[in-house]
Amino acid sequence: MAEMIIKNGVVYDPKNGIDGEKNEICIKDGKIVENVGAGAKIVDAEGCVVMAGGVDGHTHCAGKINTGRIMSPHDMRYAPIPGLSGEEPRTKLLRPQVGYNTPNTYAIGYRYSKLGYTSIAEAAITPMMARHMHEEFEEIPILDKLGLVLMGSNWQVMQYIQDKDPEKLKAYMAWLLLASRGYGVKIVNPGGGSSWTWGKNVSGLDDKVVDFDVTPADILIGLAEANEALNLPHSIHVHCNNLGVPGNISTTLDTMKLLEKVKTKRDRQVMHVTHVQFNAYTGTSWMDFASGAQDVADYINKRDHLTFDMGQLMFGPAMTMTADGPTEYRNARMFDAKWSNYDQELEDAGGVVPLNYTSQHFAHATMWSIGLELALLVKDPWKVMFTTDNPNGGAFVNYPEGQALLMSDKKRQEVIAGFPDMTMDRISLPNIDRELDWGEIATMTRAMSAKMLGLEEKGHLGVGADADVAIYNIQPDKVDPSVEHEKIKKALSFAKYTIKGGEIVVRDGEITATPKGKVYWVNAYENGITPAEKDRLMTDLEERFKKYYSIQLSNYMVEDAYLPRPVEIRPEVI
Amino acid sequence: MQTVTLTPNRSPTISIEAEKITPDAFAGKSAAEIRAIGAWEGNEEITLADIFDVAVDGSGDAAETKIVIDGDVPRVKRIGEAMTAGEIVVKGDVDMRCGALMSGGSITVEGNADSWVGREMTGGEILVKGNATCYAGGGYRGETCGMRGGKLTIEGDVLDYLGEHMCGGEILVKGNARLLAGVLNWSGKITIEGDTTLPGGEMKSGTIFVKGKVLEMLPSYKDEGTEEVDGVTYRKYIGDLSRNGEGVLYVSV
Repeated sequence: MAEMIIKNGVVYDPKNGIDGEKNEICIKDGKIVENVGAGAKIVDAEGCVVMAGGVDGHTHCAGKINTGRIMSPHDMRYAPIPGLSGEEPRTKLLRPQVGYNTPNTYAIGYRYSKLGYTSIAEAAITPMMARHMHEEFEEIPILDKLGLVLMGSNWQVMQYIQDKDPEKLKAYMAWLLLASRGYGVKIVNPGGGSSWTWGKNVSGLDDKVVDFDVTPADILIGLAEANEALNLPHSIHVHCNNLGVPGNISTTLDTMKLLEKVKTKRDRQVMHVTHVQFNAYTGTSWMDFASGAQDVADYINKRDHLTFDMGQLMFGPAMTMTADGPTEYRNARMFDAKWSNYDQELEDAGGVVPLNYTSQHFAHATMWSIGLELALLVKDPWKVMFTTDNPNGGAFVNYPEGQALLMSDKKRQEVIAGFPDMTMDRISLPNIDRELDWGEIATMTRAMSAKMLGLEEKGHLGVGADADVAIYNIQPDKVDPSVEHEKIKKALSFAKYTIKGGEIVVRDGEITATPKGKVYWVNAYENGITPAEKDRLMTDLEERFKKYYSIQLSNYMVEDAYLPRPVEIRPEVI
Repeated sequence: MQTVTLTPNRSPTISIEAEKITPDAFAGKSAAEIRAIGAWEGNEEITLADIFDVAVDGSGDAAETKIVIDGDVPRVKRIGEAMTAGEIVVKGDVDMRCGALMSGGSITVEGNADSWVGREMTGGEILVKGNATCYAGGGYRGETCGMRGGKLTIEGDVLDYLGEHMCGGEILVKGNARLLAGVLNWSGKITIEGDTTLPGGEMKSGTIFVKGKVLEMLPSYKDEGTEEVDGVTYRKYIGDLSRNGEGVLYVSV
């Protein structure tokens, strides 16, 4: 493959300690290299910011999003962001694009690329849905992808935790990743998804799950310890209990504290807590509900065992989709909205509900503030990932708006000025004047998320990294993000160049090539799991499938054909 | 005053998307300019000249523009879409979504209208002298708000989901309405002079008058006794209680 050199750009590469230096980036065979020959293609990044390609460590882009599409045919009419939403006819190069919160697969690939993102993680997939996820992945162009597998309400997981059989749990988790070609362990409302089968939920870490002698706390600890015993690249990825309920901050803090005792051999967190905005509410009802961001941030500032993402809310239509079935039922009832519900046999629950967030509703305005407060109050950007929990808090095409807000106190105050008075004593954002710099934005959007996921070749521009690069048309020494909100937003929305695996895929905000991305998955089934252990597991699996599943064990595994460009990661045996 | 006469010159079998047949788009234009206005026939881009002979008399702004479609156009969709003023008269049948999103002016269809006539209209008047099919005055697929204002009159019968998700305005059906008229309604007034079946399913608020018979009544409506409105005695029901609705359903006794 041809060589390439990116010249004259101002480089932000937090992992390698580069914070706004004029450096050259050399690319050969899809990788960043030390130097290239004289014939290398020159990409002139004069007057531009250069970063690694963005890594979205938590997004809903394959799987449940399809239910969102079915429920919202009108989504194709929404086009609030020209160039990143609405209908666009096919061209010689591109497939047709449509939608906003639930765009078609091609639009997902093109639009993330325009934002300078090159890797995304589908955040919640049941093993039963995995084949479908991979089918959608195949049709999402350009981006590298991975899927996190739901395990927090799985009957067999809970059974092995109840039986105090960590070896079998380990074997089963590794087998689930193998069966689904998944990358990591996702836990959504631990135990709640299973209880939802009986119309019940769990209300805290110490509730018993219906029909099992385990609690959410047991599930979290069991899965976290097995996750570390398997030495998986990513930690457990947790959506806490009681999401969206006023007063849920105590559950969130208890969950964070619970995981303090888990140890890892890897250089990363032992738990990633996702979309914390939805889990940082004080109060006892919506009447006295307020931001708990300060308490959460104080805790996170003192501890190093966890990372989190924002789950920032964006005003306008959104599509909530989660494995947290009871939460979606509550949403649908509260807002008199459309509701779709899942019960995925022994594996998890789920739901999809379209919502509309408005700055004129104090609750939505408060939620908008909490996401930003969390990112600004936590001092170390290596603990924070920028997300909107796409499309739960808002569509990913709003990322530039959110990122630009983090860089401008002035713009935030302008938005807050339009909020209803009932919001003001619930939030602390008006008193936070921190403005993030480019290095911190680069950390929260690529370096941190790649490290958090354990993707060593992503999120940085050091030698050996994948040649995924985003070049934004903004001069950091000339444009002041704190006053030029629109300029920043525009530059981040339409990258001057996006380079994926050494190939220019976006130029001046337009797609120029649509290579197929890779799919990362983790094979830990050979990781210290003895043949005897596998036999023990297989006996269980055969019985479970015969007794309960609607499909045969032999039809369950995702076949190789579904991953045309796989990257198999085998964790080191410990 | 400008009168534009469109005479169909063939009978297409594939539906034609012709949202530009509006007084707003035709106002002040010559016959040649109107002939060149684009439309889609299936996946092929055509011009209005491909389906109509065009004659123009006089000139005027949208409010002074009258469009006469002189014949049946049962495969031409979206006539009068989003029109704000002026008049359209169709001397025959029309395809789906006639008058969708219109906010002013008037449309008269002398024949039958297909589904979604007056979809999401916010103002103006539509008169259908024949029958209409489903979702008359309804909403866009997936949206939760249908017709919001204006008046829709259908002199013949309609099929299912009349005024689905209606948020305002007025619908008058002189014939019968089939299933679930006023389903999921938020507001507005629907009058059915003929018979209907299961009116007001999941209605939140709004008013439905049935002057004929209700062939089957939803069980989730509460009988409130009789009430006289404009000299006519009705039995009054409140519902749909399955959705904590406060809609009012009057059925003539």
